[in-house]
Amino acid sequence: MMQANQPISGVLLDEVALSLDELAHAVDVGPDWVVRHVQMGVLGFDASVQVTTWRFGSRDLDRARRLLRIERDFEANADVAALVIDLGDEIRRLRTRMRALGVE
Amino acid sequence: VEYKDYYKTLGVERTAPAKEIKAAYRKLVRKYHPDVSKHKDADEKTKEINEAYDVLGDAEKRAAYDELGPGFQQGQEFRPPPDWGAQHGFGGVNAEDLFADLFADLGRRGQAGRAGARRTFQMPGDDIHAAISIDLHDAYTGTTRAVVLRVPEPDAHGRPQMREKTLSVNIPKGVTPGQQLRLAGQGHPGMGGGPPGDLYLEIQFNPDPRYRVEGVNVYQNVPVTPWEAALGANIAVQTPSGQVEVTVPPNSQAGRKLRLKGRGIPARTPGDLYLILEVVLPPADTERARELYAQMARELAFNPRQT
Repeated sequence: MMQANQPISGVLLDEVALSLDELAHAVDVGPDWVVRHVQMGVLGFDASVQVTTWRFGSRDLDRARRLLRIERDFEANADVAALVIDLGDEIRRLRTRMRALGVE
Repeated sequence: VEYKDYYKTLGVERTAPAKEIKAAYRKLVRKYHPDVSKHKDADEKTKEINEAYDVLGDAEKRAAYDELGPGFQQGQEFRPPPDWGAQHGFGGVNAEDLFADLFADLGRRGQAGRAGARRTFQMPGDDIHAAISIDLHDAYTGTTRAVVLRVPEPDAHGRPQMREKTLSVNIPKGVTPGQQLRLAGQGHPGMGGGPPGDLYLEIQFNPDPRYRVEGVNVYQNVPVTPWEAALGANIAVQTPSGQVEVTVPPNSQAGRKLRLKGRGIPARTPGDLYLILEVVLPPADTERARELYAQMARELAFNPRQT
């Protein structure tokens, strides 16, 4: 049984990043799905050339989950799905900016 | 547990072909997508739509759902019949659980069952994704929050049952909105001795009328008097990291941004705090106040509409 009173600690992604296999497992896809999307340039902006040293952070995890949802929900082409989440990110960025400047 | 009419959620007939269900689902997902929808309850709606489609979009789960029959009303108190779902491999489902949980596990177990026929099947548990809301202040100090999860746990017969599990989680200082906290081994249990999955918590911030957060930077409005703005002043400001003394430079206008370096969220690279000056005019509601305004009008000869 889980002890409810014993606080547990995690690690913050971005301080400790995910490997290729960990990201794939977190999103419930095969590593090949991740590799394909890194090669497309939708995921892993800081990914190095060496696949074994690829590391992914919070942003990649969030984007990967949203990408998958668009691809599956709409049987969307991967490039179109990438464009959709890029636009979504831009909307979020602009909304945050507007709020920060006091424009609602 | 309350019965949910998934057909009603998607706005289709019980007899609708799979193609029609998919089309209805897609239309609704677009309509309520959180990035574009103006509906206040877009997030909630999206969740309902996804839940309905998770069942009706899967032939096996839809068949199990249909087996319950059309006799139930949305929200009606509901207990699954004792023999229900036997042919779909449910069995032993706890009726206290959320309605969606009745179907949640079907796909996974079907998969494991099929593979298990060939050899002893071992599979790591799925990861769980959830969100947790904290106050901005918590990001400055760190905090501990309770997270309630619904996870399957094997019963005496090895069949998974949904159980509520409460975790007390340390939220470290320096977290920013959208950041993910990974808790190793706190996901779904593995199968056949496989390791458990992980829990990912997305950090969200409760809205606070005093502050706005952008990444590691924080914005805060600070009301000042016209003479503080004009002449300059040292003022005390209550910031998320406590009270600080701030120098307002002379000749400041409304909207001027004062940057307090390193007083944003204390992430690995700490953010900055921006104080945005808001000049508040004293009301001209006494003879003396009106006199002072009139004196300024005469003696300053100031017209902001003239360049």
